[in-house]
Amino acid sequence: MQREWGGNMLKGCMRTPTPKDAPTVPEKRMFRMGTIINDFTINIATANGTGSQSANLILLQSLFDMGVPVSGKNLFPSNISGLPTWYIVRLSDKGYQAPGDRTHIQVLVNPATWDDDLAALEPGSVVVWNSDTKGKTVERDDVVSYPVPMSSLARKINPKIAKLVTNIVYVGVLAELLGIDQTCLESAVAKQFKGKASAVELNITALGLGRDYCKEELTKNDPYAVEAREVTKPQFFIEGNEAAALGAHYGGVQLLAWYPITPSSSLAEGIINYIPRLRTDDDGKATMAVIQAEDELAAAGMVLGAGWAGGRGMTATSGPGISLMQEFIGLAYFAEVPSVFWDVTRVGPSTGLPTRTQQSDIAMLYEGSHGDTQHIVLIPGTVEECFEYGWRAFDYSERFQTPVFGMSDLDLGMNRWACEGFTYPDEPMDRGKVVREQDVFEAFETFGRYLDVDGDGIPYRTLPGSGMAPILYRGTGHNPMGVYSEKPEDYYNLMQRLRMKIDGARDALPAPVLREEAECEVGIVFLGSMENSIQEIDDILEETGLKVSQCRVRALPFHSDVEAFVRRHETVIVLEINRDGQLYGILRRELPNDLVTKVHSVAYSDGMPPRARIYAERILATLEEVNQ
Amino acid sequence: MSEKPARAIKLNVINEPKDSYTGGPSSLCPGCGHDQISTVIINAAWENGIEPHRIAKMSGIGCSSKTPAYYLGQSHGFNTVHGRMPSVTTGAYAVNKDLLYLGVSGDGDSASIGIGQLIHAIRRNMDMVYIIENNGVYGLTKGQYSATADVGSKKKKGPANETQPIDLCALAINLGCTFVARSFSGSKKQLTSLLKAAMSHKGFALIDVISPCVTFNNNDESMRSYSYVKENEVTLHMADYIPHFNPVEEIEVPEGHFKDITLHDGSTIRLETISEEHDPGDAMAALTALHGAESDGKHVTRLLYLDASKPSLAEDLGLVDEALLDVPDEVLRPNQASLDALNAEFLA
Repeated sequence: MQREWGGNMLKGCMRTPTPKDAPTVPEKRMFRMGTIINDFTINIATANGTGSQSANLILLQSLFDMGVPVSGKNLFPSNISGLPTWYIVRLSDKGYQAPGDRTHIQVLVNPATWDDDLAALEPGSVVVWNSDTKGKTVERDDVVSYPVPMSSLARKINPKIAKLVTNIVYVGVLAELLGIDQTCLESAVAKQFKGKASAVELNITALGLGRDYCKEELTKNDPYAVEAREVTKPQFFIEGNEAAALGAHYGGVQLLAWYPITPSSSLAEGIINYIPRLRTDDDGKATMAVIQAEDELAAAGMVLGAGWAGGRGMTATSGPGISLMQEFIGLAYFAEVPSVFWDVTRVGPSTGLPTRTQQSDIAMLYEGSHGDTQHIVLIPGTVEECFEYGWRAFDYSERFQTPVFGMSDLDLGMNRWACEGFTYPDEPMDRGKVVREQDVFEAFETFGRYLDVDGDGIPYRTLPGSGMAPILYRGTGHNPMGVYSEKPEDYYNLMQRLRMKIDGARDALPAPVLREEAECEVGIVFLGSMENSIQEIDDILEETGLKVSQCRVRALPFHSDVEAFVRRHETVIVLEINRDGQLYGILRRELPNDLVTKVHSVAYSDGMPPRARIYAERILATLEEVNQ
Repeated sequence: MSEKPARAIKLNVINEPKDSYTGGPSSLCPGCGHDQISTVIINAAWENGIEPHRIAKMSGIGCSSKTPAYYLGQSHGFNTVHGRMPSVTTGAYAVNKDLLYLGVSGDGDSASIGIGQLIHAIRRNMDMVYIIENNGVYGLTKGQYSATADVGSKKKKGPANETQPIDLCALAINLGCTFVARSFSGSKKQLTSLLKAAMSHKGFALIDVISPCVTFNNNDESMRSYSYVKENEVTLHMADYIPHFNPVEEIEVPEGHFKDITLHDGSTIRLETISEEHDPGDAMAALTALHGAESDGKHVTRLLYLDASKPSLAEDLGLVDEALLDVPDEVLRPNQASLDALNAEFLA
C-alpha cells in the first residue's frame, strides 16, 4: 500500500511569515489544493508543572471526539516542576499511532527549549509561539509563523493564574487554525475538569480568547486542517495503567502491596481509586487490602504472603522495583507461591530515563532471580489486553502456582489509547489445585505438597489455617513431601518438574496475534506497545515491494504458534524497543536449530516511543545484510 | 498378660495433648539456647489452648529461622528469605487475619538485613508475635558479629567488636511498638509467661530473647580450650569442628534482682529483672531502665512496655469482618453490571 508523506505534499506550500497587520482570514475557510487533512503532527513544547498536560489532553480529547484518529504522547521529565515537556499529537486517517517522523505544527511556549525546537523544524512547518516570551522570537523565514501574545491574553482573565491559562490559549488558537469543533472542545474541557463549573468556565473563556485572537489577528497560511470523521464503533480514551487496574479488580485482587515508582504508580492508584465503587460493601468495608510498602522488597514479600495464605496478591512496579524483588521472585518460583507482578517498564539500566519508554525487562522477567528459573510473562499490546491480563494474571498464577508478570510499558501505561470497551471475564476465577475440603483431602492416598499427582507438574496445595497437611514452606531444597532435602535426586526431580510445569503453560497462555501475507516472505515478531507502530512500519516496508507478516507475541514462554510462524516464513525479524534484542535472544535459544539461522534481530531504543521510519529503515538494512 | 494401666495424658483446655504442639528433631548445635525457646513456644501454645492449625509459623533465614521445623508440626509455616519475614507475614495477614502469626527471627535477620521490615511491621502494629533469638553472632556462616554484639565481644579470630550495638527493645519502644519484652533463653518460666501474654496481645508483640550461641560466641577463654583441642587432636578436620557444650543453664531471676550467669564458654552475663514497680505503660521509664542497664553492663528482662489501646493493622485496613480468604469468588469479582456501567460512562 502506498503511503502518503506529509513532507512530500508540503513542497510548494512553503509560506513566508505572516505579519501581524496582514489582512484577516476570509469568512469562509478556503481549502486550497494541497490541503492536508487529518495527517500531521503537532508538537507542543512547555515546561513541567505549568498545567500544560490538561490543555494538551483537552486538545487530544476534542480531536478524538470529532472522530479523528489521533494519538498523544507525553514526553515528560523526571521532575515536579520546571523541566521541559513535549506533547506530541498525531492525527492520522490511517490510524497510525506512533509519533510521526517530523513535526508539522510546533507550539513554542517554553523558552528553555525554544531555539532547539525551532531549529529542528523542517522548512514549511508551522510555528505557533508565545510572543510574550522574553528574548525569544521566530526568525526563520522558511516556516509559517503565528505569533500569539499568550501571556497577555491569559493575564486578561486572571493575572494570578496566567501561567496555567497560557496553555489553554494555544489550544484555542490551534482550534481556530485547524477547524476544531467548538462543541467537542467544550465537552473535552468538561471531561478534563470533571464538570467542575469554575474551572470549566475559566478554560472555555481562555479557549475563546485564543480563538478570537486567531480570527482577528492572524491569517491562515498553512495547509493543515481537521475534518470530522464518522465513527463506526464508539470508542473512548483510557490509559493502559487504568485499564490494568480495572482488570485487577475483575480478577478479584485481594491485596495490593506497592511502592510508588514511575511509570507504574497510576496503575496502583487506579486500583485504589476504584475500591469505593467496585470493592466496598454497604457498610463501607472493603473486600481487598492496600498496603503501601516500605520498599519494593517488602511489596514483593507481601504479595507472596498473600499467595501463601491462599489469596490473590499483586504489586505494580517498574524495572528498578523488579530488580529489588528478584530474591522473592525466586522464592515464589521455587516454593510455588502464586503471585502477580506488574512491570510498567521504563528506560534502564539503573535509574535510566525514568519517564521514557523501553522494552528492556523482558529477559529479567522471564528468567528473574538467581538459579535456573522461568516465569510466565503476559505482554499486553492494547488497553483491552491490559484489562484482560489484569484479571487473567491471577488465574494463571493460581493455576500454575508460580509468579506471573504483566509487562506493560510507559507508552502503553501512561498514554491514552482508544478503546471500544472492556469485556467481562468469560470464565469463573481459576483458583487452581487448592484442596479446601476434608473429604477431598482424605481421598488422596498420599498427600505431598510437591507431589506431581496428575503428571502435569502442578501439585496440590492446602492452605494455612486449614489443618490439612501442614508444611513449612521454604526456599531451600525440598522433596515431594515438602521436607528439607539435599538429596541429588530430589533436587534434580524438583527442577525438572518445575520446568515441565512452566513448559506446559505455553499453549494455555494468550496466543500471538498473527497478521499474515500469503507469500510468507518477511515475518516480524514483536511485542507489547510496538503494536501501535507496527502497521506504519509494515506499510513503509511494503512500499519497497516486500510482503510483510506480523506476529505479536503476547506471552512468555512462547506459544507454539510462534515457532510455527517462524517456520512458515523465509526471513524473520524480531523487533523490539531495546539495545540487545532480548526477545530475540530468548527465541533463538528456544527454537529448534534448523530455524535459528533465519531469525534476525532489529532492536533499537532512544527513549522515545517507537517512530516507524527508524525501525523500518533498520529492518530494511538488516534484510539487505541477510540477502548479501 | 496383665494390662498396663493407661497413663493419663495431660490435655489442655481444648483437649489437646502437648504432642499436638511438638515438631521435628532439631538440627541446631546440641545445647543451643534456641532449642529451649522452641520448647517454650510449644509450652506456651499448649498452655494457652490455641488450636495448633490456627497458628502460622513465620521465619526468615538463620539458625533461629530454622527452628519452626522443630515446633508446632500441625501448623503451616513459611521459612522465607533473610530479613523479610515481616513483609510475608503482613501479606498473609491481610488475606487471613484470623490466624495467630508467630514469627521467629534472629539478630542478623532483625537488626541488620531486615531492620527496615521490622521497623515497618512495628509501625503498622500488625498482629503478630515476633521473637528475636538474639545471640550476637551469625551462626550459620560461622561466627561473624551481628549488629547486636556488645562492644568488646570477641570471636575466635580477628579483632574484638568495636561497633555500637543496636538495642532492639529500645528501638521498638521508640517506634511505638505496643508490646516489648526482653528475656533469656534459660529463663523458661519468665519467657513462657511473656510469650503467653504476647500471644494474647492485639498488635505487634516483640520479645527479644538473649540466647547465647554455644558455638561461636566465644571469648579468648573458650578459644583456649578450642586451641587446646586443635593442638592435641591433629587428626581432626579442624575447620569443621564444632565444640559441644552443656545446655545453657536454667535460670530465673526474681523481680528487682540480678544474677550473673556463667555461659558455656566461661564468660558471664548479668541479667536483671526489672522490678515489679516498673509501669509497663511508661515508655520513658522503660527506656531509662534499658539505657541504665546498658551502661552497667547488664541486660534488663521482663515486660518493658505495653500499650493495648492502639488499633492494629486489621482495623486500619478497613476490611470486611470475615477474613478476605473467606470472601467468595463471586463477591471478590465485581458483577457484569458494574463493568457495563463503567463502559457506558467511559463512552458517554
